[in-house]
Amino acid sequence: MNRRKFLKTTGCAGLALGSGTSGWLMDLYTFQDTANLSEVEARYYKKHPDREIECVLCPRFCKLGDKERGYCGVRENKDGIYYTLVYGKACTVAVDPIEKKPLFHFMPGSSALSLASAGCNVNCKFCQNWEISQVRPEQVRHVDFAPAAVARAAKQYNAPVIAYTYSEPIVFYEYMYDTSIEARKKGIKNVVITGGHVNPEPLEELIGVVDAIKVDLKAFTQNFYTDYVRGELQPVLDAIKIISRRKTWLEIVYLVIPTLNDSDAEIRRLSQWVLQEVGPDVPLHFSRFHPMYLLKNLPPTPISTLEKARNVARKEGINYVYIGNVPGHEAENTYCPKCFNICIERRGYTIKKSYVKNGKCTFCDFPIPGVWT
Amino acid sequence: MEKSTVVIVKKRKGQSAIRTDPEAIREMYLQGLTALTDQKNPGDALHVFFKDKDRVGIKINTIGGRSISTTPETSLSLAKLLVDNGWNADNVLIWDRTNRELKEAGYSLNMNQRGIKVFGTDSNSMGYNRNLIAFLNIGSLFSSIQADTITASVSLAVLKDHGLAGVTAGMKNYFGAIHNPNKYHDNNCNPFIAELFGTPTIRDKHKISILDALKVQYHRGPSSHPKWAENYGALILSRDPVAADTVGWQIIKKLRKKKGLPSLEEEQRPPKYLDTAERMGLGTSNLKNITIIEIEV
Repeated sequence: MNRRKFLKTTGCAGLALGSGTSGWLMDLYTFQDTANLSEVEARYYKKHPDREIECVLCPRFCKLGDKERGYCGVRENKDGIYYTLVYGKACTVAVDPIEKKPLFHFMPGSSALSLASAGCNVNCKFCQNWEISQVRPEQVRHVDFAPAAVARAAKQYNAPVIAYTYSEPIVFYEYMYDTSIEARKKGIKNVVITGGHVNPEPLEELIGVVDAIKVDLKAFTQNFYTDYVRGELQPVLDAIKIISRRKTWLEIVYLVIPTLNDSDAEIRRLSQWVLQEVGPDVPLHFSRFHPMYLLKNLPPTPISTLEKARNVARKEGINYVYIGNVPGHEAENTYCPKCFNICIERRGYTIKKSYVKNGKCTFCDFPIPGVWT
Repeated sequence: MEKSTVVIVKKRKGQSAIRTDPEAIREMYLQGLTALTDQKNPGDALHVFFKDKDRVGIKINTIGGRSISTTPETSLSLAKLLVDNGWNADNVLIWDRTNRELKEAGYSLNMNQRGIKVFGTDSNSMGYNRNLIAFLNIGSLFSSIQADTITASVSLAVLKDHGLAGVTAGMKNYFGAIHNPNKYHDNNCNPFIAELFGTPTIRDKHKISILDALKVQYHRGPSSHPKWAENYGALILSRDPVAADTVGWQIIKKLRKKKGLPSLEEEQRPPKYLDTAERMGLGTSNLKNITIIEIEV
């Protein structure tokens, strides 16, 4: 299906559709009429006297007076009622391979209709998508793309998965939640790509309607979260534990940034924590950093640093440790922990060969954890 | 160390009506500007701040709607004073973030080539400058008005209590000049207010802080809560942005005490950014180093 046909069939007029990052960058500098923003009441907030409210969606607990917006920039108190301004307002839509998220043990080779609204509840200095995540919804082009239309589009586009991604989907929680329900009605799965900066109650509710969650664990120290993320580490760790306890498919990505979060000691502590709290079978991806946004004074991560991190994690007992953003690296492949053969051979986002059948290694019958169909 | 001067021009009577009385406000500007600059006439006083060819931006604060924003009478009186003293009306611009907020605060937009202009950053030909400016903890896109259009800036903000920053006044007013102010409210907006002001895009163009204390929201700001607003009837003027805001804080402190409210320190939200700003060399937050001239009109 070509772009024009896609836009026509999905009702996404005016939206650029792409199959890669080049396709989704919107024009940040064209203002949208604020009257075109949504006014759907938010689900997680408390009302206080004198038209003040407290958002309880994420660990920031923003307390806001009338006409004020939360840290995310996409939720606003209007006369004592808290609204999401981005319900059904997609600023990015693309069809990506699921490997791009990355999710390596979840329906490999599948296409994921991927969407985002503007906004984020942290402010990472190394953000790769800051043009949409660190802006207000009126500062990016967006289109009306209602939950049912998203599900319909995924079906029409032969995408068995919808991915909520690119910015921080927690900030468009209501939109994501309702779209997930519509998707499930059509047999489409839902995956969430998040920083995990969310409170337990909304997370538990979300888990009820989605099928996999990839968490970006940005570091394993609060200092890093304070200085480079502007967020809290502990709520992210708590979120990972909740996802694991609820047995929702989980993968963890750790962006390795030279000198900031790449020490052997930190990687070891992280690995030990993962092993203890989540177990050895959660896929752990060490991704390569590239200078971006407000962190341009550091070089890209040396591949040797990523390999060292991988070795540390494997030595601690994590079974599936990958290296990301290094196309062609051998650590893109899935190796059977028992017979050490390649179970899934990848190059970039492409599956070259798969030797996983019925969730087992075809060489030795060892079960490979994941969601395979 | 040279002391900073802050002038408080206070209306003796009729404070409740002054926000919409352009003649009275003009008189306050005249008195305040000449006292601040030690000049005899307003033209000379204004030349202390602005060059003839400057494109002067008057950054106002309109998030509070009609009830607690910089009124059109307050900003237009200043703009007209500039024009009456030789500045080309085409080069005087009253502005804020959005046209919607300007209209809600009672402004008539003027985006024409001719005359005093009134419009927001979200006007079609404006938007944000494409260069991401990084300075200390700040990483923002700046309004094209602030970055590209104007050459000299007046911060004309309403003096208000602020639930996080403690006080919002002349320095914090520039949160309305960037695309992501919501990212700078952690830790009582400290050091962000000071660091934003310290960016060359603001600091190099800022010429004078004028705090609109005609009506002061002394509690539960920055939103409008009429029961905690006082018709204070004053304008506060200073070349030192930190000193101006420090004096503004003292007024809020006085009003809160008068109304039996706890101090901002007791509420754990003193405006810490003022000391940060002093440490950055942006001005003084030490009252001992501020000469306050009070004028009654």
